[in-house]
Amino acid sequence: MLKLPQSSTDRKHFVIVGALVFIATIALGFFLLAILPVKAQHSVQAEPIRWLFQLHVWLIAFLFALVVVFMLYALIVFRKRKDDDSEGEHFEGNATLEVIWTVIPLILVIVFSFIGFQTLRDVTRGGDEVQVEAVGFQWAWTFNYPNGVVSQEMVLPVNKPALISLRATDVVHSFWVVEWGPKQDLVPGMTTHLHITPTKVGEFQIVCAELCGLSHWNMVAKVRVVPEDEYIAWMNQKLAEQNIQMASR
Amino acid sequence: MQLTSLGLVRGIIGYFVGLVIGMAVVVISRLALGMSAWDQEAGWVGGIIFAMIGFMWAVGSLTDWFKWTRGVETPFHHGPPVGKPAWTRYFSVDYNHKVIGIQYGVTGFLLLILGGSFALVFRAELADSGISFLQPGTYNTFLSMHAWVALASILLGVGGMANYLVPLMIGAEDMAFPRLNAFAYWINVPAIITLMISMLFGWDSGWTAYPPLSLRGPVGYQMVFWAIFGIGLSSILGSLNLIVTMLTMRPKGMTLFRMPIFCWAIFATSIIQLTATQLIGLAFLMLSFERSLGMPFFNPLYNALGENIGGQPLLFQHLFWFYSHPAVYVFVLPGLGVISELLPVFARKPLFGYRWIALSSLAIALVGFLVWGHHMFTSGYGEYLRVVFMISTLLVAVPTGVKFFSWLGTLWGGRLTFPTPMLFTLGAISVFLIGGLSGPILATAATDLFLHDSYFVVGHFHATIFGGFVFPFFAAIYYWYPKITGRMYNETLGKIHFWLMTPGFWVMSLAQMTAGTMGMRRRIADYDPALGVEPVHLLITIAGFVIAFSILLMIYNLFTSAEIGALAGNNPWRSRSPEWQIPSPVPEHSYARPITVVGEPYDYGLAGSTYVAMAGAGDD
Repeated sequence: MLKLPQSSTDRKHFVIVGALVFIATIALGFFLLAILPVKAQHSVQAEPIRWLFQLHVWLIAFLFALVVVFMLYALIVFRKRKDDDSEGEHFEGNATLEVIWTVIPLILVIVFSFIGFQTLRDVTRGGDEVQVEAVGFQWAWTFNYPNGVVSQEMVLPVNKPALISLRATDVVHSFWVVEWGPKQDLVPGMTTHLHITPTKVGEFQIVCAELCGLSHWNMVAKVRVVPEDEYIAWMNQKLAEQNIQMASR
Repeated sequence: MQLTSLGLVRGIIGYFVGLVIGMAVVVISRLALGMSAWDQEAGWVGGIIFAMIGFMWAVGSLTDWFKWTRGVETPFHHGPPVGKPAWTRYFSVDYNHKVIGIQYGVTGFLLLILGGSFALVFRAELADSGISFLQPGTYNTFLSMHAWVALASILLGVGGMANYLVPLMIGAEDMAFPRLNAFAYWINVPAIITLMISMLFGWDSGWTAYPPLSLRGPVGYQMVFWAIFGIGLSSILGSLNLIVTMLTMRPKGMTLFRMPIFCWAIFATSIIQLTATQLIGLAFLMLSFERSLGMPFFNPLYNALGENIGGQPLLFQHLFWFYSHPAVYVFVLPGLGVISELLPVFARKPLFGYRWIALSSLAIALVGFLVWGHHMFTSGYGEYLRVVFMISTLLVAVPTGVKFFSWLGTLWGGRLTFPTPMLFTLGAISVFLIGGLSGPILATAATDLFLHDSYFVVGHFHATIFGGFVFPFFAAIYYWYPKITGRMYNETLGKIHFWLMTPGFWVMSLAQMTAGTMGMRRRIADYDPALGVEPVHLLITIAGFVIAFSILLMIYNLFTSAEIGALAGNNPWRSRSPEWQIPSPVPEHSYARPITVVGEPYDYGLAGSTYVAMAGAGDD
């Protein structure tokens, strides 16, 4: 049985707590990564988001462990024993400690500001090899391509940087494909933009992420990410269909 | 006793009489101007304005001021109303800050239950996918009402704690402006009635009320705008009163740095409320005017050339968040003050770093004014702004960290006991920690672009508000209950309440964050089971109901203990604070003689030291 020191400032306390914080950080970090599965993984822009998210998770695990382990340790070790009517130790504070736990978080803030800035740059940049305009209105989407093709589903070639222009005709909406990561609002009266380079072939859902009225929950559209040759074939077929429609009018 | 002798009943009658008069004034004006008789936007706005005035006039909150204009003296009447049961004073205008504090607190608690009940309704709906009983329109109304009712409950709960405790803690007879104090409470009541009426018409934008959506929906929006204007007016007047009280009515010897720490929290809170609330009042009035008078503030309008001659939707978002972010600190700073206030008592130790904690409240309040744009990372404003607001937001972590570490310093080396208030204080720390630590992940814009408007945000802010307000509020209720009623609550029931609510909340919070990372959007009436979030939603719903059940236990406890609880005595917690040196329940005139401060507030464990000297104690 470990004999705990009488004085609360004995170094032994801090050695024990330090070890417990270390163990708790590891355990908590893996636990949090397991229960927070970031579903954004199928675009170039999703990568930095996932990376930064995991970095945050480890910092959270450490800080949570730090506070909670110290707290639980204090609750157990410094609990009032039966028949002990004495008061707690009398110390009113420690300016050095206060400065330390002001300055270290401040340094962390500066570091995370810098990391956050770089990650943001990576998430918001991309090319415009493919361009498409997404128009949101209560409660559906339309997609316009520069060559005049109009579609109810969005089709994009895989691994090609796409520039999506976003326009709302009535109220504020928000364009989000969970698997791609970032979202962007659509604001009446202005055009907003989103850079996405999809990296996985498949069908995903475009959803509206900003409450926009009655059927907001159901304001969804399909996006298909296809190999480039399939994209060209689809585009040609759409063009042909639309020309026939124009001609038959 | 006649029912109409209750101010509340007269006020409600006055409300509806005012409503009819206001609508009639609008109809007559419109007819005089040659317009169609009825326009529901204008009709209801006119009605609501007159109804609010009608309530305040009929309840008697304006009576003394009217008398002053006629030169009539209005001496204070102390104690319960003559010839009526003592409880009736709680339903009428009363100038005693302890009565007003209870009025605030009880109203806030009732609204907390109501707002929570709205949540239970849509949590039941969301327990599985598919729309079962709540149609999307009703769902949107419920989620919108949940938000504003809960926020109103918090503002009133904060008002309750501040009004009851601040004058007691600084040994003052009452607040600086007792009539203004009563007005600031009572204006909430017609505002809440108005908010409730909005449900008859529905509204569907969530509490944020972003235009153009809020300019298009049903007339229920008008009621929301004016209700929030009323509640905001209460915030402004109440905080003004508190600031003046703390600055001018402290007793001899109580320097600012010798105030109980809770007063510092309320001081910082009041600065925010006094200055930021104007912005949401303004923003909601602008929405109201745009709807009823066609003033083009926010909705873009195009002329023949395609130029925008109308407004800009993003302007509203800036105005809204310039209040609504600092408002979060209005909700949590008093709660953090309660934590700092209670820890030394149950640790039998001085508050670690008193001045640092006091100033960190001010720092949070001031930094809080610079961070509103982090709610708008996805809004489409200039990209460089994302960086600015990211940095300012991360800075909030610094003063918040000071509080956490100072609390640990307070616990370290204490003689800790764990009655219910202490348990809720510790629970508050754990929950606020979840809320606080999930903040930076939303502050770095890149990760926010993914998490914004997802359930991760829902988890984050509920943890912040439960940890920063609800848990400390409950701790405060249990802690000061003996001072208010003179009797102890039931300790066993209190502990059961804690051990149901706290794990329940941890589960709910983490599950909400899980759902968010899996792609669950906020504010949707139904979700796609393909996301795989259905089990998570079931878990959130179960946890929500466990929390609700535990709160029922609390209500039962508070009600029965007022009758059968053991007599508490003056100072069951052996606190040094002045309010514990006087009888429980607190007499009509709290302090028989002025008190003098002769020491530091938290010198527990320093032999022979006291905080206050009660002049003339013993000779009553």
